[in-house]
Amino acid sequence: MTKPQAPNAAIAITTLEQKANELEQQLTAEVRSMIASWKQKLQSYQGEEFVYKVRGKEIHVANHVESLSHTPIPKISLPRFSDWGEIVRWCMRENVPGEFPYTAGVYPFKRTNEDPTRMFAGEGSPERTNRRFHYLSQGMPAARLSTAFDSVTLYGEDPARRPDIYGKVGNSGVSIATLDDAKKLYSGFDLTAPTTSVSMTINGPAPIVLAFFLNAAIDQECEKLIAERGIEEQIKQKIAAIYAEKGMPLPTYTIDEQDGGLPKGNNGLGLMLLGVSGDQVLDAADYQRCKEHALRTVRGTVQADILKEDQAQNTCIFSTEFALRLMGDVQQSFIEQQVRNFYSVSISGYHIAEAGANPITQLALTLANGFTYVEYYLSRGMHIDDFAPNLSFFFSNGVDPEYAVIGRVARRIWAKAIKHKYGGNERSQMLKYHIQTSGRSLHAQEIDFNDIRTTLQALYAIYDNCNSLHTNAYDEAITTPTEESVRRAVAIQLIINRELGLAKNENPLQGAFIIEELTDLVEEAVYTEFRKISDRGGVLGAMENMYQRNKIQEESLYYETLKHSGQYPIIGVNVFLSSKGSPTIIPQEVIRSTQEEKDMQVHNVELFRKRNSSASDAAIARLKEVAISNGNLFDELMETVKTCSLGQITHALYQVGGEYRRSM
Amino acid sequence: MHSSAPYKPLHTVRVVTAASLFDGHDAAINVMRRIIQSTGCEVIHLGHNRSVAEVVDCAVQEDAQAIAMTSYQGGHVEYFKYMKDLLGERGAGHIKIYGGGGGTILPTEIEELQAYGISRLYSPDDGRAMGLQGMINDLVKGADYLTPDVFGASLEAEVVSKNPLALAQAITAAERNEGQRIAFADSVKRVPVLGITGTGGAGKSSLTDEIVRRFLADFADLSIAVLSIDPSKRKTGGALLGDRIRMNAVHNPRVYMRSFATREANVALNRNVHDALRILSFAKFDLIIVETAGIGQSDSQITDLADVSMYVMTPEYGAASQLEKIDMIDYADLVALNKFDKRGAHDALRDVKKQYQRSRQLFTQNPAEMPVFGTIASQFNDPGTNTLYRALVDVLVQRCSLDWKSSYNRSTEISEKIYVIPPDRVRYLAEIAEESDRYEKQVRNQERIARQLWQVKGAIDLLSQSTMPIQSEES
Repeated sequence: MTKPQAPNAAIAITTLEQKANELEQQLTAEVRSMIASWKQKLQSYQGEEFVYKVRGKEIHVANHVESLSHTPIPKISLPRFSDWGEIVRWCMRENVPGEFPYTAGVYPFKRTNEDPTRMFAGEGSPERTNRRFHYLSQGMPAARLSTAFDSVTLYGEDPARRPDIYGKVGNSGVSIATLDDAKKLYSGFDLTAPTTSVSMTINGPAPIVLAFFLNAAIDQECEKLIAERGIEEQIKQKIAAIYAEKGMPLPTYTIDEQDGGLPKGNNGLGLMLLGVSGDQVLDAADYQRCKEHALRTVRGTVQADILKEDQAQNTCIFSTEFALRLMGDVQQSFIEQQVRNFYSVSISGYHIAEAGANPITQLALTLANGFTYVEYYLSRGMHIDDFAPNLSFFFSNGVDPEYAVIGRVARRIWAKAIKHKYGGNERSQMLKYHIQTSGRSLHAQEIDFNDIRTTLQALYAIYDNCNSLHTNAYDEAITTPTEESVRRAVAIQLIINRELGLAKNENPLQGAFIIEELTDLVEEAVYTEFRKISDRGGVLGAMENMYQRNKIQEESLYYETLKHSGQYPIIGVNVFLSSKGSPTIIPQEVIRSTQEEKDMQVHNVELFRKRNSSASDAAIARLKEVAISNGNLFDELMETVKTCSLGQITHALYQVGGEYRRSM
Repeated sequence: MHSSAPYKPLHTVRVVTAASLFDGHDAAINVMRRIIQSTGCEVIHLGHNRSVAEVVDCAVQEDAQAIAMTSYQGGHVEYFKYMKDLLGERGAGHIKIYGGGGGTILPTEIEELQAYGISRLYSPDDGRAMGLQGMINDLVKGADYLTPDVFGASLEAEVVSKNPLALAQAITAAERNEGQRIAFADSVKRVPVLGITGTGGAGKSSLTDEIVRRFLADFADLSIAVLSIDPSKRKTGGALLGDRIRMNAVHNPRVYMRSFATREANVALNRNVHDALRILSFAKFDLIIVETAGIGQSDSQITDLADVSMYVMTPEYGAASQLEKIDMIDYADLVALNKFDKRGAHDALRDVKKQYQRSRQLFTQNPAEMPVFGTIASQFNDPGTNTLYRALVDVLVQRCSLDWKSSYNRSTEISEKIYVIPPDRVRYLAEIAEESDRYEKQVRNQERIARQLWQVKGAIDLLSQSTMPIQSEES
């Protein structure tokens, strides 16, 4: 037994306490509070409920989910560190979901009321796609409509009889050339309801199609006001008078013979004002009120990411500078009109990955594009917190190891830059992203195996806390998905979310050595790429020399070479072939738009142009004037679309903003 | 998959390559065009999103033997049939059409289209059975023919009426040394010729396109021909004739464009260009632009055949002494300093003007007045390009005694880049990386201090306990 050495110990303790004081002074206030509140943080996840506030509202969430074996599965599982160094490092680099740097997620918990499943549609006429949207949303609590447009629309042209245009009308997407088309497309969905959100996959002519959509939403508000006041008959007479003067028939929603009326689920909202704009039938103050309300409440996303178009997907129609100006005008207008619940851009890596980029390049180029928009909007005098929350991201998930952490890395990089470099608030620091499983990883051989790949990719995405997810159908490599294949694709998500036990936990990746190491490796690789792009004059400078394009092509070639040689194994494609050699599956039939639909779209746009011919010239002249005098083009487009078709508008804009110039 | 050796064409084979209208999928056609070129063909590549009329008019003007298309976006039945029809309408039914679209083109559709007269559509199975080179060999073999004499005795009349196919065939006749077919153009008064030359990557074709665009807008009745010359590969004889891809203005009934490969190593001007100039003069084009690849010394050949010549360069030529080595500054009537948004552009403009002055000993004149123009051709409605265009018209009018009345203003306005990202912000990505480095350093520092603090606190606890061991055991 040692003798107590009280005096020496006391001296040592005093010395140590001094040292402790010194050290404590060297910690930042933030870090001191991290340490002080650690135990409390642990406890907040251990009790029955977790309580937090969103926009002043207190939210209670159960901390555990009980398994069949009555095991309480924690939604958030936290490390059992004692060492303050570990705690500090973890809080600064990982942290719980919902706290800076948001590595594990931007919200404390996943939403429980809304499955992140979108309803994809886009085929033929607006009527056919509308019918499909209603079919898909039957019995669903929320309508999350995702719109695919035909290539005629994607390139900003009107349907026409010329065969090279005609053949593409309504194929692989819906044909939308006018405001009336947009009204029909979303009719019967309350566009300002909190349960409705609309996503539009369009880029080159995005501002124009967005103006179609927002006008459709505004006119729905006008219809609601009209119904509220019970003045439907009066309004219908007004419209009839307008058309009597034109001497032309009113446009109508073409009824499908099978339905004998509007499609099931479509209550007709949005169709009363077909052929007119709300401001033609309501007084200015009423219209303005409807407009304000619609713009402030409407929810959704438009892709509108022109940088990745130039780098990977090629649906550019305007000169890049002009296209960027249009995007800036949209965002500026969103700020002024307080459009808060609509993402003005979906900064997309998906197409970069589909074109052949590896996951690191996908992430690096996409984030670099995102920061380019930030810099551009800032240079136009917008405040970071006014626009950053309107930005969203979209990535592809393949099977590469890096896809296990793509969300983690993206969130961390974004949060650090927005907080420290741009001084943005918490809402601005949160990177929200959509995942679509990789279309490129779907093969035309042994197509049954594709669902297995999609499942694994979906698992990556869900474990990584993506904000929304689309799972591809297994037959997409060979044809337009069928109802059966789409149902299986949706089942993949549902099975993971509802059945898979570990997915009840919402931070299953945190704490794994490999995940942490991979996160650091990918993050560092992204910064290395940032520096390379910076050396080339930033994203736009690098684009001039086709740096991104070449990089994507090189990586694509590398993959193809390894796939071809068998060094990169793909089951049922280059190894593990069936006794028949796993031949390429050729579809017997694919869904194509019908001749009637094409004719109808061509006819409708011709009629639209004819009945607006007295107003459209002046509208186009005003639009060009705004372009030349550097006014806000989007504010003007909101007016132009009332009387001009998509093709009329793009052709006018080519004259004042320049066409896209291809290069190689 | 077996790999075949490249087929060796017997004739000079010219193939137009493109991706279909409203179709951005250009990966496959980019692979194909490279192999077609390395198989010894001259490839005129148009890139993605091309209408049938654009492709057909190009093939006609270029007197190509074949068109190779990809279509992945649907509508291929209509597209290919319309292409066949339009070729027929233009009198060029002999031009063969090849295509592919992976799994998007169904086997039944392939049958239907081939029955309609499309030479061949390659399916994914064809790709696997033949290999890439095998498919291209098949295509090039099919295109390895002499284009037929469509007009016979009426060639002269058709050339006069500017029939694009007649112009194309007349030029090809000259290339094939069939001088008797174009004897009508032997003694003709030459129309004004503008020569444009410059280093690779200086933006010649973009600038040419911008000049053509302004010319068409400026003179509603005048016609223009563009001859564009790119180098052939000595090894394979193939060539990539890539100027058209950047040209947006040339698809216009008042424009005829023809691409040439040098066909002889190290000669910037194809010897057939002289014949082409005679033929186009006979057709009475109002202006002919000859755009040549800049290869070393031979650049100055352009001055031999052009009435007015323009040299296109960028501010990135290195030290000012390099300018003394550039022959064309001594000979060109005008110099375009393109990509004027590059660093040091204003200094470069001053130096090139001085060199221009020095080489002509114009020491009595103000160097600022030398015809050197800063331009940014890639920028829409670029003021510097407007200034250059007007100066160009003035020199042409004066040199060739023309009566053109341009509506463009004479000005001294030079290009000013409208920046998307302000120049002083251009390092943003590096700054973000640096900001992260700073943060991670801070993390390591705070982690270390926090750990030490924890250890010190632990030591304090330990010492406090060891002073009272009995009490703690008892409690």
